Amino acid sequence: MRRSLSLLFRLLRIQIRSQLQYPTSFILEVIGNTVVMGSFFVVFALTLSRFENIGGWTLGEVAFIWGITEFSFGMMDMVFSGFDYDAFGPMVRKGQFDQLLLRPVNITLQVLGSRFVLRNLGKIMEGLIIFLYGLSQIEAHWTVFKVLYIPILSISQVLFFGSLFIIGATTTFWTMERLEILNIFTYGGSEIMSYPMHIFPRAIRLVFTFLVPAIFLSYFPTVFILGKTDPLNAPEFTAFLAPFVGIAMLLIALRFWRFGVRNYQSTGS
Amino acid sequence: MEPIIQVNQLAKSFKVYRDHKGYFGALINLFDRKYDLIKAVDKISFKIYPGELVGYIGPNGAGKSTTIKMLTGLLVPTAGELTVNGYIPWKERKDYVKDIGAVFGQRTTLWWDLPLTDSFDLLKRIYEIPDETFSKNYNLFREILALDEFMKIPVRGLSLGQRMRADLCAAFLHNPSLVFLDEPTIGLDVVAKQRIREFITYINQEKHTTILLTTHDISDISKLCERVLIIDHGKILFNGKLDALLSEFGGKRILSVDFAEHYPEPLLDGAQIIQRNGNKVIYSFERKTISASKLINQLSSKYRISDLEVRDQPIEDTIRRIYEERLLYNHSYGKENPPS
Repeated sequence: MRRSLSLLFRLLRIQIRSQLQYPTSFILEVIGNTVVMGSFFVVFALTLSRFENIGGWTLGEVAFIWGITEFSFGMMDMVFSGFDYDAFGPMVRKGQFDQLLLRPVNITLQVLGSRFVLRNLGKIMEGLIIFLYGLSQIEAHWTVFKVLYIPILSISQVLFFGSLFIIGATTTFWTMERLEILNIFTYGGSEIMSYPMHIFPRAIRLVFTFLVPAIFLSYFPTVFILGKTDPLNAPEFTAFLAPFVGIAMLLIALRFWRFGVRNYQSTGS
Repeated sequence: MEPIIQVNQLAKSFKVYRDHKGYFGALINLFDRKYDLIKAVDKISFKIYPGELVGYIGPNGAGKSTTIKMLTGLLVPTAGELTVNGYIPWKERKDYVKDIGAVFGQRTTLWWDLPLTDSFDLLKRIYEIPDETFSKNYNLFREILALDEFMKIPVRGLSLGQRMRADLCAAFLHNPSLVFLDEPTIGLDVVAKQRIREFITYINQEKHTTILLTTHDISDISKLCERVLIIDHGKILFNGKLDALLSEFGGKRILSVDFAEHYPEPLLDGAQIIQRNGNKVIYSFERKTISASKLINQLSSKYRISDLEVRDQPIEDTIRRIYEERLLYNHSYGKENPPS
């Protein structure tokens, strides 16, 4: 295990180095990404300025939940790049996955190390800036627990999104093509998690509570941290389920992944 | 000696779905999918012994790749037994692949965006190659395969020949006991082919690495392999020495003679005249019916000649004839394993 991990870090380090081969162009790309992604929030903020608040949440409060979600998704998109089913599907189709199977190393770590998209730093920075802006605007009752809970929440979100990527990657063993419908949960999920979820219709909320438990990773915890009243009247403990949901999702995803790998068969040519 | 590869009644079938046509075809497909069962590999058996360099040939779609993929553990057989190095490849993947190497001519095992030096360094870690072994092999292979000129270039920037040389180096770095080479010379020019063949011969002789070589290029086989397996339509048609195959099916040989004077009808027993051009006459004869030396004796006792030449039909032609005319079907020849 230690050997595998050191190999993984080496793979990642080499990729980072090769992506930093042209530093100026890399930095410009990251800044460009930050600005483009951030513009969505600016548009939202301008719209919101006509209404004062959205579902009882101020701009600062939405910035808090929006920023943390963007930050986590960006982190996940970087760390789990190898499982991005847009890249993993072609990898299976072109037989590159076969090549990984011919190496005496844990296959999950190899896929994890097969790709590391450093320019996701743009989205991470954007999320961080929006999050910090939100922090500066809100007045919450800060306790030590709440301060510690923020990074835990972000890590849980990373695991949550990562699980969706792993599940998506696994489906490509059978479909060979990416399943567009999965984007509803990954990219759509991250959109929905960026807003106070009680503003959405009940049907959507139910999907993102019971099918994909996204609500436990953004809305409930944020209600707790910001001290908002919850029109959904969810029990208080729901605010603290985020790490458990994140870990449970990852375990389920990994189990599905291993099932997929075990049943994977190459083509005949 | 124990065989390193043991294949017994190995079979692999694929389901090929027959799609419904027409406007609602896609919809009907969801509920009613008919398929044909294609026997890609149909109960084949063979053994390969340590240190052998065996050629595995056959026309397109004969079942070569399917066999190799079962041997490397990428495909699970439908039926039959298969042990390599004492492992069942698809069951014990991680342990099994430590001691094998594989080169697939069509795709690379190297990291696309990394310079070769980085790729080799990663392989050293992946296979836990001891420093001494690594530097010894690395320096040796670098020299034979002339890798130094493009060591710093990312793999995506290499030519096909360069990439193939790099892939070969990568497959042998960890001193595997067995290496699968699937079309290692495909699409390469004569010089590159030659260099790769020299490398393969060298490794096989010096390190006694067992090599199973799949190829379309018969000249690879005739230059490298003692023994060949021929597969077609999923069945092994021939298993034995290439020479034996050629003398059985080599068919016609060509004798071309320059006579010292003009003969109106220079007949020879056991040979036919196929072409005449002044004093130059070309005969053909069957390898099986008469030997070249007898023919030449006969020739020199009857006529005055100034020059002569005996040629075999090119191997490619023979093999093509074997495929096309299905000469090996219903032929008991060479079905048994040669004793080793």
